[in-house]
Amino acid sequence: MKSALFILIVIVSGTLAGAIHGTVNFAIVEPYLDQAIGIENENLFASGEADDNPQFWADYEEYRVWQKSGQVIAGMILGVAMGSLFGIVYALSRNSLPGKNDVTKAVVLAGIMWITIYLIPFLKYPANPPTVGDAETVVLRSILYVSFIAISGFGALAFYKLSKKLQSDKKYLGLVGYAVFIIAAFIVMPENPDEVTAPMNLVNEFRLMSVLGVTSFWISVGIILGLFWNKFDDANSSKNDS
Amino acid sequence: MSKVQQLSVSKTSVSKVAILVLAIVFAAGLFVVGFDQGHIFSVVYGEQAFVDLTIHELTHDMRHAAGFPCH
Ligand SMILES: [Zn+2]
Repeated sequence: MKSALFILIVIVSGTLAGAIHGTVNFAIVEPYLDQAIGIENENLFASGEADDNPQFWADYEEYRVWQKSGQVIAGMILGVAMGSLFGIVYALSRNSLPGKNDVTKAVVLAGIMWITIYLIPFLKYPANPPTVGDAETVVLRSILYVSFIAISGFGALAFYKLSKKLQSDKKYLGLVGYAVFIIAAFIVMPENPDEVTAPMNLVNEFRLMSVLGVTSFWISVGIILGLFWNKFDDANSSKNDS
Repeated sequence: MSKVQQLSVSKTSVSKVAILVLAIVFAAGLFVVGFDQGHIFSVVYGEQAFVDLTIHELTHDMRHAAGFPCH
């Protein structure tokens, strides 16, 4: 595939999947963000940092409406970013992925990446709604989160390469190796230093919606990139299959 | 053009330049949405937020929703 076409279909599929992610979040995550920010507002009133008056609420409404509009835009930016990573890994691993066509292959890879660089890091460092995080620890939390994603992602890659060298009846050892490795990392890595002070059912429901949103991205990006690849790959069109 | 060369092209199927471009897009986009630390955490700063921190504020809700550390 030509470089320009490859970049184009990766960017377009990332943007579309990101727009879906943003739209899903807008519908299912925003109500929880509103609730959490509501708690923050109560705290501001209680501590005297803000006054509970019509002006405050007018500003607040305007601010939130504007901020919410960012969900879809930020979804597209994040979608392009994650979609680019997905496109790179897909291009490099396509020949090894199971499946008869590119949609199957891409969805399989999306599933693997969803587990290794999203779900496992999420289980260690779950998403939190506003009010939970301490601004003082945000740099530390970012470093921990990124490190764990990198450990999981590169770990999966390393064990995958290892399993390719093993005989076919021993390939499962690659998976076992990754499991042992990631459990060890899970135990060794420090906990999120912040204490959750928000109501736990709010936090849990927020986390569930957050997972659904991110999952919608990975499913979408797999299907969309797979469809584009099927359509535009020279090898496919010359064979004239769909 | 030799057959060997064509084979190697079809094996990786995309160029290194394309991969580099996408790697840069990945890093830049991820930083904007996930890790830019300029975001303000409350409405108390009022209109100034719209002037100074447009991008951070715009990506803020997604930052929480996608699981990135925030406030
Ligand atoms: Zn925040």
